Amino acid sequence: MSEQLNNETTHFGYKTVDKANKASMVAEVFHSVAAKYDLMNDLMSMGIHRLWKRFTIDCSGVRAGHKVLDLAGGTGDLAAKFSRLVGEKGQVVLADINQAMLKVGRDKLRDKGLIGNLEYVQANAECLPFPDNHFDLITIAFGLRNVTDKDKALASMYRVLKPGGRLLVLEFSKPTHEALSKAYDLYSFHVLPKMGQLVAGDAESYQYLAESIRMHPDQDTLKAMMEQVGFEQVTYHNLTGGIVALHRGFKF
Amino acid sequence: MPFTQLVNASLEILLNRLLTLDDASSERLRALSGQRLRVRIREFPQPLTFAFSDKVDLLGDTDSPVDCDIELSINTLDKIGDLNRLNQLIQQKALTLKGDLHTAQAFGILFKELNIDWEEQLSRYTGDVVAHQSFNLMKGLKQKFSRDMAQLRSVLSDVALQEKPVAAHPLAVEDFAGEVNKLRADTARFEAKLTQLEQRKAGKA
Ligand SMILES: C[S@@+](CC[C@H](N)C(=O)[O-])C[C@H]1O[C@@H](n2cnc3c(N)ncnc32)[C@H](O)[C@@H]1O
Repeated sequence: MSEQLNNETTHFGYKTVDKANKASMVAEVFHSVAAKYDLMNDLMSMGIHRLWKRFTIDCSGVRAGHKVLDLAGGTGDLAAKFSRLVGEKGQVVLADINQAMLKVGRDKLRDKGLIGNLEYVQANAECLPFPDNHFDLITIAFGLRNVTDKDKALASMYRVLKPGGRLLVLEFSKPTHEALSKAYDLYSFHVLPKMGQLVAGDAESYQYLAESIRMHPDQDTLKAMMEQVGFEQVTYHNLTGGIVALHRGFKF
Repeated sequence: MPFTQLVNASLEILLNRLLTLDDASSERLRALSGQRLRVRIREFPQPLTFAFSDKVDLLGDTDSPVDCDIELSINTLDKIGDLNRLNQLIQQKALTLKGDLHTAQAFGILFKELNIDWEEQLSRYTGDVVAHQSFNLMKGLKQKFSRDMAQLRSVLSDVALQEKPVAAHPLAVEDFAGEVNKLRADTARFEAKLTQLEQRKAGKA
């Protein structure tokens, strides 16, 4: 959709790059931030990302025995909680395209003593290696904007979701107030890259982060994209003035 | 900012922190593992949904299925660990319960039987000697405080028993004075009547 410029090119932040290259460029970003990812998340959002994730879990309807896919799950914040909530009869798959992020996630969850019902799969959201109608719940938190072909990824999620299952997309979105939007721009283009430089020694990745957020579809566009691939009863909920939105859709 | 999530996150951290300070709590927590309990405290705007595993997760959802759903007032909260009390509270309608009674009871016991050795906890940060001394000091202060309180209580009760009746209330004084005046008037009238009768008797004689 808005992401595709023509058949061969796509956005990488504000840059236009060959589609074939985006995945490896994104991989490089996350490879370079993996070790400091959690720390940066807390710093950049002042810890609020934890509340956005809690809200996601509160909207998940997850129960004991459910099968959950935490896609682009990175360092496994959501997966850790889901693992406890689905219990030993349930299953949680933490999937990410990036081996380095997956490894940080695996180590972290193992340190928390979570093992039994968790699986780690290196996978691209665009072509998920799971059977049709398999999961009760799919979450993708701060992952969709990094995916090259979002429509393809959403369709792939729809395929592996069970009828009656739901998809939750937690992603940066468009602030609803002009003043907040200005303050947020200032923060993400001036403060964030400097913080990235200081803490993770990597300003470029955080510049990409800010740019990729601006290029991501806004609330209504993403809602339409979800409906396009078949999701029903799609709604979204703005968090922190629309800086982040949680989209929810069902497969029936 | 999602306010409910902020409150729940803080509460969840606090509860789990308390539970890890008591080694025996993991045993009590195991009795609840895999269960969910929703508590609607009448004074709170949002229900709290507890999901138990090897720790407690606090959820902010209001409608997912739970094993037990209770509604009560905050004063009743500490009484649910005791099965007899629990039944009593239900009969008195101080608490409404849907679902498994034992989930509510096990939840009550989980926190009621919390036994934390604060001296030991403090010693992790300060070392044994400082912790021991601080605890002795605190114990001493506490004893002194309760002694002082006991003394104050006895002084106050003496005052109440002995001095209060002496220092009568102005209204009582006023009432008393009224009664005295009435008595004086009655006596004067009686005296006049008596004089009158005496004179009449003297006249007749
Ligand atoms: C910002 S992190 C989010 C991690 C985690 N979900 C969280 O909320 O903290 C984005 C993740 O998306 C992953 N990712 C990017 N493109 C992907 C793709 N096409 N398929 C699967 N994962 C992808 C990255 O490797 C990275 O771990």
